[in-house]
Amino acid sequence: MSFGRPPSINAGFKVTPPDRGSFPLDHYAECKEQMTIYMNCLRENSSTSSACRDLSKQYLDCRMQKGLMEKDEWRNLGLANVDKPGGATESKTTLGVGKNNG
Amino acid sequence: MSLRFARPFAQTARLASYRYANFSSSLLCRSNFHNAFTSTRVRRMATETPKGTTAASGATRSVPSQQFRTREEMYRAKNRTLLMYTSAVIIVAVGVTYAAVPLYRMFCAATGFAGTPNVGTGRFDPERLVPVENVKRIKVHFNADRSDQLPWSFKPQQKTISVLPGETSLAFYTAKNKSDKDIIGIATYNVTPDRIAPYFSKVECFCFEEQKLLAGEEVDMPLLFFIDKDVLEDPSCRNVDSVVLSYTFFRARRNKQGMLEPDAEESVVQNSLGFGGYENAPKVEEREEKR
Repeated sequence: MSFGRPPSINAGFKVTPPDRGSFPLDHYAECKEQMTIYMNCLRENSSTSSACRDLSKQYLDCRMQKGLMEKDEWRNLGLANVDKPGGATESKTTLGVGKNNG
Repeated sequence: MSLRFARPFAQTARLASYRYANFSSSLLCRSNFHNAFTSTRVRRMATETPKGTTAASGATRSVPSQQFRTREEMYRAKNRTLLMYTSAVIIVAVGVTYAAVPLYRMFCAATGFAGTPNVGTGRFDPERLVPVENVKRIKVHFNADRSDQLPWSFKPQQKTISVLPGETSLAFYTAKNKSDKDIIGIATYNVTPDRIAPYFSKVECFCFEEQKLLAGEEVDMPLLFFIDKDVLEDPSCRNVDSVVLSYTFFRARRNKQGMLEPDAEESVVQNSLGFGGYENAPKVEEREEKR
């Protein structure tokens, strides 16, 4: 019965849950700093996601370290070929110099 | 080495009586002891026989039908072969019937034949999470709503993000509990336009599960999502370049089964899920209440 039907009808009515479920809440704002850095980068790069992928990797890494996210390989999250910025670049981005890694 | 015993073996069979020949020939195949026992006798016989007979025995050895002394022997050997072949075929057939069930299941799962659902990590394979380069970017707009019974402030931290298909992107929402009580909220989401909904996948988010905020607490809620690269192959999504992702937060209440659900009218919840324009059948619980 599902043969020959366009795929969008079938899957569109199904509310698919997220693959890894829900992020635990960051009650103590442990990763807020990484989030602020990421948001600043987004603002500077006209909200293009490719430019700030390394900072998103840093944020998720922070979550994993603090136990707010299940640890997993980067390739399962689609961030395998993104280099994490080093510790030194953190200060650079807070000064407002955006990191362009497109 | 076998040839050494082959000559006396043939001579033993010929020199003895029929019954003894049948008995010994069948036994000689199986028991080493008997072989050793007769070998001493036949070695003596081997020394006595002239060379002519040995040559003849060698000649007769090459014709297989002459191996069997009686027709019964031949039939017995043939029957044994037939039995072996038949039992082998039966065992193979039974094995195939046992193996057919998992094989069919594997075939269905691989091809999706007869409506087998694509479950598992098919959608979130690491190979699918690679950005597609040099294609038009899709702009994702973020929208946040909340129910009136929920004294929270719920806002997206960024208005838009431009993403490539297949690229996992991180987005943030902020929620603040403005009341003086701990409140559990539950969020639903919805993506417009409808035709992009099957391709919009979330790796991890904060929806459909209870989120408890303490009084006066403010938290950042991240969301990791991507637009599946199959959207490039869908002709109906060809001119989609902006997508609206809308989250709605409700207060949570426990239903009769003890599970948390949004504390709002069913129509309001369905509206937040994007099914506002559709006629919904009443839930099982409501139908049973009416009866």
